[in-house]
Amino acid sequence: MANVHDEAVTRLDSAVSEVFETMLARSCDPLDGEVDTVDGRIVARIQFTGAVDGECLLYASQATASVTAEALLGTPSEPHDPMVADAIGELCNMIAGGWKSKLASPDSNCSISTPAVTRDGLEGYQARFATKFSRNYSFQGNVFGVVLAF
Amino acid sequence: MRALIIDDSAVMRKVIERALGQAGLDLTEVLQASNGEEALQTLRDNPGGSNALALILSDINMPVMDGLQFLEARKQENLAPGVPVVMITTEGNETFVMRAIAAGAQGYICKPFTAEQVKARVLPLLRTA
Repeated sequence: MANVHDEAVTRLDSAVSEVFETMLARSCDPLDGEVDTVDGRIVARIQFTGAVDGECLLYASQATASVTAEALLGTPSEPHDPMVADAIGELCNMIAGGWKSKLASPDSNCSISTPAVTRDGLEGYQARFATKFSRNYSFQGNVFGVVLAF
Repeated sequence: MRALIIDDSAVMRKVIERALGQAGLDLTEVLQASNGEEALQTLRDNPGGSNALALILSDINMPVMDGLQFLEARKQENLAPGVPVVMITTEGNETFVMRAIAAGAQGYICKPFTAEQVKARVLPLLRTA
């Protein structure tokens, strides 16, 4: 089990790093400890179906989501701008896709959904999955979390 | 030069447009569609001539009509037949690449991508189109 966990986390760290360095021109590092539980937490979800059945969740405060959108777009974004939710969804999409691309066959033969984004926090997610890997990340002092659940 | 960008994310359409500019493409107009069905209608409304599209970039995972279905429908309707299509997607496994090429795509770019990667995939297609 430890190997499975370590491999999943290593792939996730690599996927997150690739997305931030390539699309946002920023480094992003794993962080120990809990993610800040700011009200109005925004959550993006990608579902895996097929050889892998599960989901990838990315969650952040509204402030971190705005900074992330600004980094991706190159223009300032207000916290409740629809582009912020869109940006967080795309970030989750690319991280989930990057993680999937690092799987060996046959697990790589799975499909990923389009992103769904809510501003209602993490409650209600992950309940049907037995295995969860949680990881927190920081870029330029902005913290967000990623959960892989299967 | 006119291009059509198909992606359900407005953010990604903007990022792709910026990457095309950074790649040195002289874009006079960028048409946008949020799924394959909208893209088909855009092609029907822009039949060609001297102001024809030069390039189509499309995501694969989209609601309503995905990128692979768009390629098939475009082929069936013979819409913009000489215009190169490049897929830009997170679906980078061999199965999806082969299906996209078989359905008429000329290029494939995996997200995340750099402007240099866009340039390397797109410019050769414009020279030979």
